[in-house]
Amino acid sequence: MPRFATRVGNTLFVFVNVAFLLLICATMIIPLWNALAVSFSSNLASMQPGIQLWPRHFSLSGYRTIWSVLAIWKPFENSVIVTVVGTVLHVLLSALAGYALAQPRFPGRRALTVFILVTMMIPFEAIMIPVYVTMQQLGLLNTLAALILSGMVSGFSILLMRNFFLSIPGDILESARIDGAGHFRLFWRICLPLSKAGLATVTLFEFVGRWNDILSTILFVNDPSKYTLQVALNALVNSGDSMSSGELVTNNVKMAGIVIAILPLILVYPFVQKYFVKGIFLGSTKE
Amino acid sequence: MASTQTLSPRTSMTATTLRTQRAAKLKHAVPLYLMLLPAIAYFVIMTYYPLAHAVLISMQNFRFIGNRPFVGFQNYVDVLSDSEFWSSFANTSILGAGILVIGFVAPIVIALSLNEVLQSWLKRTIQMVIYIPHLFSWVVVGGLWIYMLTPDGGLVNTVLQVLHLPQVQFMTNPNLARWVLILVTVWKEVGFNCILYLAAIVGINPALYESARVDGATRWHEMWHVTIPMLRRTMKVVGLLSIMGLLRLFQQIYVMRNAVIEPKVDVLMTYVYDKGLQQMNIGQATASALLILLFTLLLTLITRRLVQYNEL
Repeated sequence: MPRFATRVGNTLFVFVNVAFLLLICATMIIPLWNALAVSFSSNLASMQPGIQLWPRHFSLSGYRTIWSVLAIWKPFENSVIVTVVGTVLHVLLSALAGYALAQPRFPGRRALTVFILVTMMIPFEAIMIPVYVTMQQLGLLNTLAALILSGMVSGFSILLMRNFFLSIPGDILESARIDGAGHFRLFWRICLPLSKAGLATVTLFEFVGRWNDILSTILFVNDPSKYTLQVALNALVNSGDSMSSGELVTNNVKMAGIVIAILPLILVYPFVQKYFVKGIFLGSTKE
Repeated sequence: MASTQTLSPRTSMTATTLRTQRAAKLKHAVPLYLMLLPAIAYFVIMTYYPLAHAVLISMQNFRFIGNRPFVGFQNYVDVLSDSEFWSSFANTSILGAGILVIGFVAPIVIALSLNEVLQSWLKRTIQMVIYIPHLFSWVVVGGLWIYMLTPDGGLVNTVLQVLHLPQVQFMTNPNLARWVLILVTVWKEVGFNCILYLAAIVGINPALYESARVDGATRWHEMWHVTIPMLRRTMKVVGLLSIMGLLRLFQQIYVMRNAVIEPKVDVLMTYVYDKGLQQMNIGQATASALLILLFTLLLTLITRRLVQYNEL
């Protein structure tokens, strides 16, 4: 499009436009960069005012303090357990249900689909107190099991998987069926391997959601030894008081906690962009 | 079916085959039911049962131990005459309106602006960067911004100092704190919605632009008369989703609130949480949550109506 670059007005527009976007990007990069720099500073240096975009007195004491002295390794471990077990179960169970709903005809298919769709209209927040009561009745309060159970399947994931399975060509399934394969075999051997993009999407959604979740922990868990990382971090970083178990929580410690909490997300980020948008569109269309 | 059985032997035979066929169908479906069982069981125990139970709890003086006297609509009356409920309602409306308006316009502006960037590497990099905050938890986002905005040595106030401007108490000035919460919420989600718009822009038929150019349209005209009208469907989806999310506003408040700003930023969901888990008043908490669920359904219904009318 050469005609745009010819006039001065256009050059000015391009300049202002890019400057605007870079300014917005700066608001995203600077807080992170600042946190990273502070997390690698020494205790004393991190408490001094001033713009810090590079570590002052490079030190790992922030990480050491939050990991072992404040024992954030325990909530970290809890988060890993809840996220990994919860995500695997969620993906598997949602895929199973999605497969069943993708089958063309069986008695009760419509009713079951509606039964699942209706749950998508009820936000969890609106029933969080009665769900808390249910967890109490099940004797699951203060257990990691409650955190894994909460959100073990979702209407959204089931629908998304169903849409992926529906896009598998019918003749592939037909020929496998002629060879005598049952539904479980079809699901495991043919449909799952052909729906890797769908599985990746649901896995990423669930992984990120569970890693970042605080709601189920602040609802179902009271016992600090069962805290997940985000909740433990919240108490350290956002509570306002700078003391924790007799230890002064300096800024480098707080920021080290934040860096630890975002590390797993940065690791999956390259895959996220690829699948998230695709997933959202597949989940919202073809109903 | 019943009448066919009394007819000739031939038709009754068809009935039997029909029956065996149906039995075969059911048998064929057994594995499918097994596959659906965990999901259905989950929804029964974790969604439908709590929802039904909520109606009962909301009419009880609920206690975990001991009897639970039935109190009729007393909990609802108590909630509706609680000034804190109404101030939470007002706060939800104010914060919600801010998030709705700014959060609706910002991603469109950024997507359109990004669409004018011709270097694809730059476009891709910017897109990647603005998406990052969407991935972070509210604990992380809250922690980052509280630290950025802190009065003693936070980055923003240091910059203000360098520019010889007065220091600002962002998180302890209730009116400013509202703005902080609105803007941080928009900041976190802008990249996500932006990508939805960009995907829609990519999907616009290039022939539309070509014919506009033939008619002598400038870039500005193209944006106003081609791109923006073609984004209407995405705008509706994004708008509807954010309206449905309004009453669920919770995590950012829970993470970023403090005693000074609470009266100005506590929202309906923090009201439910505080009533239920801080004060252990399960009955009133459930009653208020059911009221909020009712508001949400009404709001969704109204929006759907309005959006559909616009379509005509």
